[in-house]
Amino acid sequence: MNTNRKKQVNPVHLTTLVRCLLLAFLVGVGGLFFLYIKTQQFTLSEEIRQVERRIADLRAQNESLLARVTELSSRRSLQQRIADGFISLKPIQDNVIARLMPPVRATEDGVLRTAFNEGLRQ
Amino acid sequence: MRWTARTRAGVVCAVVAAVFTAYSVRLVDLQVTKHQSYAKKAAEKHTMRMVIHARRGLIFDRNGELLASNLPVRTVVADGSHIQDPAALAKIAAPFLEQDEGDLRARLSSEKKYIVLRREFPEEKAVALKAAIQAANLRGIYFEKDAVRTYPNGQMLGHVLGFLNNQGSGIQGVEMTMESHLRGQDGYRYIEHDRTGREIMLYRGQEEPAVHGLNVRLTIDMGLQAILEEELDTAFRDLKLEMAAAILMDPNTGEILAMASRPCFDPNRPGEAKPEEMKNRAILDMVEPGSTFKIVVASGAINEGIVNDKTSIFCENGAFSYGGKILRDHHGYGAMGVADILVKSSNIGSAKMALMMKDAKYYEYVRRFGFGEKSGIELPGEIPGLVHPPHRWDKLTITRMAMGQSVAATPLQITMGMSVVANGGRLFAPQIVRSIEDADGRVVQDKPPKMLREVVSKKTANFVGRALSGVVAEGGTAQLAKVAGFTTAGKTGTAQKASPTGGYAPGKYVVSFVGYLPVENPRFVCLVLLDDAKVASNLNYGGLLAAPVFSRIGERAARYLDLVPALRAELPGPLAMDDQKKERAN
Repeated sequence: MNTNRKKQVNPVHLTTLVRCLLLAFLVGVGGLFFLYIKTQQFTLSEEIRQVERRIADLRAQNESLLARVTELSSRRSLQQRIADGFISLKPIQDNVIARLMPPVRATEDGVLRTAFNEGLRQ
Repeated sequence: MRWTARTRAGVVCAVVAAVFTAYSVRLVDLQVTKHQSYAKKAAEKHTMRMVIHARRGLIFDRNGELLASNLPVRTVVADGSHIQDPAALAKIAAPFLEQDEGDLRARLSSEKKYIVLRREFPEEKAVALKAAIQAANLRGIYFEKDAVRTYPNGQMLGHVLGFLNNQGSGIQGVEMTMESHLRGQDGYRYIEHDRTGREIMLYRGQEEPAVHGLNVRLTIDMGLQAILEEELDTAFRDLKLEMAAAILMDPNTGEILAMASRPCFDPNRPGEAKPEEMKNRAILDMVEPGSTFKIVVASGAINEGIVNDKTSIFCENGAFSYGGKILRDHHGYGAMGVADILVKSSNIGSAKMALMMKDAKYYEYVRRFGFGEKSGIELPGEIPGLVHPPHRWDKLTITRMAMGQSVAATPLQITMGMSVVANGGRLFAPQIVRSIEDADGRVVQDKPPKMLREVVSKKTANFVGRALSGVVAEGGTAQLAKVAGFTTAGKTGTAQKASPTGGYAPGKYVVSFVGYLPVENPRFVCLVLLDDAKVASNLNYGGLLAAPVFSRIGERAARYLDLVPALRAELPGPLAMDDQKKERAN
């Protein structure tokens, strides 16, 4: 038995070793690739989150500005600015009116235009 | 026992197997048996249900003018467990939040995870504060989305629009009645967050998007509303009124074109308003309509054939003894036709017509005109007015009701009553909401005009309408209601004001004028109702106070609606003379 054991050799099976190492390498590479992909996913999702947040912020700012524009162009605000003299109303000049019918003056046809009572009030 | 190699190996294997078995058992216990319990615990710790707030629908007038919108704001909150340097954070945030730095530092030093620092924080300031905190590389203050309702026109149309409570639900006006359409439905999203509270988007879970509220388009025309409110404001200020109300209505559809009450409030600041300012008098107050109510008895009597255009009624020369009481007219009149009774506003003539109709028939017409019942307008809190049934009347009631006493009506009901005459005898349900639309302006729900009933025949309505034209003409009680260039019809009302202690308050009157134009094809009915004007009692009449307000509103409204004048010029003396002088000079 002893004699046999001395003679017995345990050769390294290079093919098997290479195969095992290759398998281990592939598993390792696969793992690393998985990690890489996972990290990429996290990074992208974080970027998407940031973009979503920026869009939400911009939308909120936009709505805020729209509300401000609405308020400034509201009837109340415009009337107040007319009253304060910041803007004034001017009658539309004849040369910028496109008339389908020729203009008629109250004194010509005897029909009373409704503007006259306003004058009385003032 | 001999510890042979085999035995030792067996023992080691057994120990290892036992250890692994123990681990396996524990693993199965954790992963399988208690899986749900631990999964729930993990979810509670890292997963949260994030609410996606629905945007409240907008309110527009009939021409698309924005009446109610949403202003995005932020709620500033702090998480004490995330704050490492409260002093530095307080120093940066205090000026933005307009709070004392010391107080803020004390609040930020708390370990609480949710500290509300400021509500309704403007969006622009939130952006600036966020940037300042990031620049200082600090954390612990966060900004939650919120929105406040704004009404760009302030007080204008405040009673109709209403306002929201702290929970964002409408508690008055259209905001309340249209709540189910305007509110929308919040959505949600399940998210997982990391240790610092940031969402891990990769693990975003189930999501239900928010359904935004629908937009509401009103029948109101803001151009007409501005005219109505301006004139009502002038009257309210000049006459030192206790209350005033005015309504513009399209008689052919029942659409409310404008509606206003005084005193009023700003729905942007409802907390500052007094209760009496928040009341929409047009539907919440009832008054004795006075002589405007005479159109009911005249219409009813003509429609039933009890009287006609040739009937002459003796008006007792101004004093009619009935039921042990004397009923008086302002002037003594002899025999008059139905039209003249309306033109002169004879109490005795109206009372006699009601007596000719008898209780049941007269009551039937009062109800057919819509008095004593809610009109069903899309505004909250409307009252039905007060019309007692005939079995509760005493002998005098019918004569008093005919002239607008012993009965109470809302300003809206009086306007509806006049609309019946204006549109040829049909009673339309008053309408303030025109349509419900989605965000893209597509009509989701249309609200067509709704005719409730034919109250009187077209012939009757036309007859009463012609008579009411006389009220505004020479010799009528409301010559000041005349609208230059247009045929106008209407009826004045002057009623003593009911006292809270019973009976009538001496020297206090509710005066009104309700009319329409043009008579041939009425485009609008307008009611002006003025309560307790501080003028001499010999001037406190509907024809002297309310009629001129109607005239100005009518004139401006006609111009706004681009109505073509149908009457020839009747310039008043001085102005006509001036005009002639100018003509000569030219």
